[in-house]
Amino acid sequence: MDNLDNLFASPSRRDVLRWGAACAAACGLARGVRALAQQDAASTAELAGPRLAGVARHPALFWEKLPDNRVKCLLCPRGCEVADVERGYCGVRENQGGAYQTLVYGTLCSANLDPIEKKPLFHYLPGTPAFSIATAGCNLECKFCQNWQISQYRPEQVESIVTEPRKLVDACKARKCPTIAYTYSEPVVFYEYMHDTAALGREHGLGSVMISNGYIQEQPLRQLCRQLTGVKIDFKAFTEKFYQEACAGQLKFVLATLEVLKDVGIWFELVILIVPTLNDSPDEIKQMSEWVVKHLGPDVPMHFTRFHPTYRVTNLPQTPIPTLEQCRLIALDAGVHYVYAGNVPMHPGENTYCHGCKHELIRRIGYEVASNQIRDGKCPKCGTAIPGVWSQEQALAFKPREKPSAPTASQPS
Amino acid sequence: MHSRCTRRRFLAGAGALAAGTALPVGRLWAADEPTRPRSRVVVARDEALAGGKLDEHRELLEKLLNAAMQKLTGAADAATAWRQLFKPSERIGIKVNTLGLSAQPPVADAIVAGLRLAGVPAEKIVIWDRFDTELEKAGFKLNKSASGVQCRGTDTKRGGNGYQEKIESSGQIGSCFSKIVAEEIDALISVPVLKDHNLAGVTLGMKNFYGAIHNPNKYHDGNCDPYIVDVVAHRFIAKKWRLTVCDGIRGQCQGGPGAKPGFQWPFAGLLLGTDFVATDAVGADILEKQRKEKGLKSLAEDGRPPKHIATACARGFGEADLAKIERLEV
Ligand code: SF4
Repeated sequence: MDNLDNLFASPSRRDVLRWGAACAAACGLARGVRALAQQDAASTAELAGPRLAGVARHPALFWEKLPDNRVKCLLCPRGCEVADVERGYCGVRENQGGAYQTLVYGTLCSANLDPIEKKPLFHYLPGTPAFSIATAGCNLECKFCQNWQISQYRPEQVESIVTEPRKLVDACKARKCPTIAYTYSEPVVFYEYMHDTAALGREHGLGSVMISNGYIQEQPLRQLCRQLTGVKIDFKAFTEKFYQEACAGQLKFVLATLEVLKDVGIWFELVILIVPTLNDSPDEIKQMSEWVVKHLGPDVPMHFTRFHPTYRVTNLPQTPIPTLEQCRLIALDAGVHYVYAGNVPMHPGENTYCHGCKHELIRRIGYEVASNQIRDGKCPKCGTAIPGVWSQEQALAFKPREKPSAPTASQPS
Repeated sequence: MHSRCTRRRFLAGAGALAAGTALPVGRLWAADEPTRPRSRVVVARDEALAGGKLDEHRELLEKLLNAAMQKLTGAADAATAWRQLFKPSERIGIKVNTLGLSAQPPVADAIVAGLRLAGVPAEKIVIWDRFDTELEKAGFKLNKSASGVQCRGTDTKRGGNGYQEKIESSGQIGSCFSKIVAEEIDALISVPVLKDHNLAGVTLGMKNFYGAIHNPNKYHDGNCDPYIVDVVAHRFIAKKWRLTVCDGIRGQCQGGPGAKPGFQWPFAGLLLGTDFVATDAVGADILEKQRKEKGLKSLAEDGRPPKHIATACARGFGEADLAKIERLEV
């Protein structure tokens, strides 16, 4: 068994908690997709051999030197200035003697074969699996994070297995999985590994999708998009107040990322987790939807998903389904063509309807695609072109619209 | 320095009372109470510690520490001094700072010797920090066996350490605390290094406890203020913290927390106090004076005033006003 097989075969107890939550959300309906939490999890012994006790150092990209052996990270908008032996906010990038390093190059703490619908990406190869991986760390701190036990931990605090890009690509191919998904925690903070793996994956006919909070600077994002084939952004709210108070971030940087994605031309979808009383005001949803239509266009799908109390927000109820339905209607009224209600299995708002004739195109039951009538990317009834990525050839044919930029020594070639 | 220390220092004092120990000096009285003694900080120095390896001066170091403890507590002998703060039945955690310029093992060993004088069994003492690797790099010998003084990092998975699963809230922080501090010990000794910090200004007794939470990297904004105080205000720290012994054998006035030999100087001493705010205030003052001597900007001019010291004082944890601190020399 190689390391990755071990990871698949025997999740640790912590993994089971993590994966269990994710799978519970999937309602166990993903037929044909292997859900780790449902396997025998009694033994963690098989993880002991290849388990990583610490970090995997690798030169970081996108940073510059400062006086006194300090560095400034240029990967995400935080722009952490980091002294020698210290780490940035994300906890996975460390200054060692004036050289910046990532500590999570290939240190996989989660791996799973998920339906692509679970990301959720509803207009990207529906009904196919995505080989989904994560490392520790995140550059935000959302008080309602569902995966805080990896995203808010440092690499030393989670069990990981070092998996070189080659091994991950091989494992993905062996399972006939068309897509690698960088997900669960925050892939921006394991940028170097994601970049290299996505590049290698492309060479081997695999697509790569980033499931991200969108907290990344323009230059690294544009370069990454050369390797990616799809993106999902958690668009957490439409107020600076929410971003600052609930996520320790700033909305303006996420808006900038969305506009770059639009400019690059990559396929992307938006998820808005609706947290009761915090970001569910109809006015806010209206403004957000109007902004999406104006700046990104009507074809970018919006998913309004259901919040469940967790992490530091345990005093609020789960989102009432009528609230999600209302959000969906507001966005449709604003002109967004594809709007979904998420984390509500069997709800009609999880299905895809042609924006031309309203014909039901994809019926979903939880994360399972029960039927898909899209043919050659079109509605079979009215012939309207349905925006999205409907074949692997289309996914791999994607080339970003380039914007000239001055290269620096710390960029990927 | 800003001072509004009029609230009863109930948190730290309550910890001492609950534990049934003698009252730590200067930790329990409100500033407006006439009987309140001044917060006392002892600066113990011996030039002989400046030369050679500290290993060669273990005996001298022990003597100096014990003399400082007597001065701090007013006890007639060293054993009584240690017994005023620690009981033989208690489990004691010695939190050393091993990030960058590290606290030195002989300092921790001298503290262990003092605790042994007080009758604390070796098995009830644990020397700890975040990582095994950093402890080892700093020269500490790990001991995870059941006998002798324990020495281990929190982040080590094997051996049943690690952090609590539950998130604890304190002020603005939300963190999982080291099981060592949360579950394994009754009393705490903070052993920082007399050094500069590039964000917080200084990293002394209070900042040392960033090494007790799982996510310190999240709390670096605003000169780490008020987050440092939020960490030490949590009951796991505030109710257990009895003593600070700051390793000032080598001080570093710039470039911390990493070791920058160019900014180090042989202070050749220790700072001791039971008022953790006062001890940090005296440490910060020493660092500021050294910076001035070296022609460096003050910490405030450098954009990193140690705001957390004033914040801790304002929240009633101790005295930050140097004029109100009784500074004793050994
Ligand atoms: S990626 Fe991490 S280190 Fe870099 S700026 Fe963002 S939070 Fe800071």
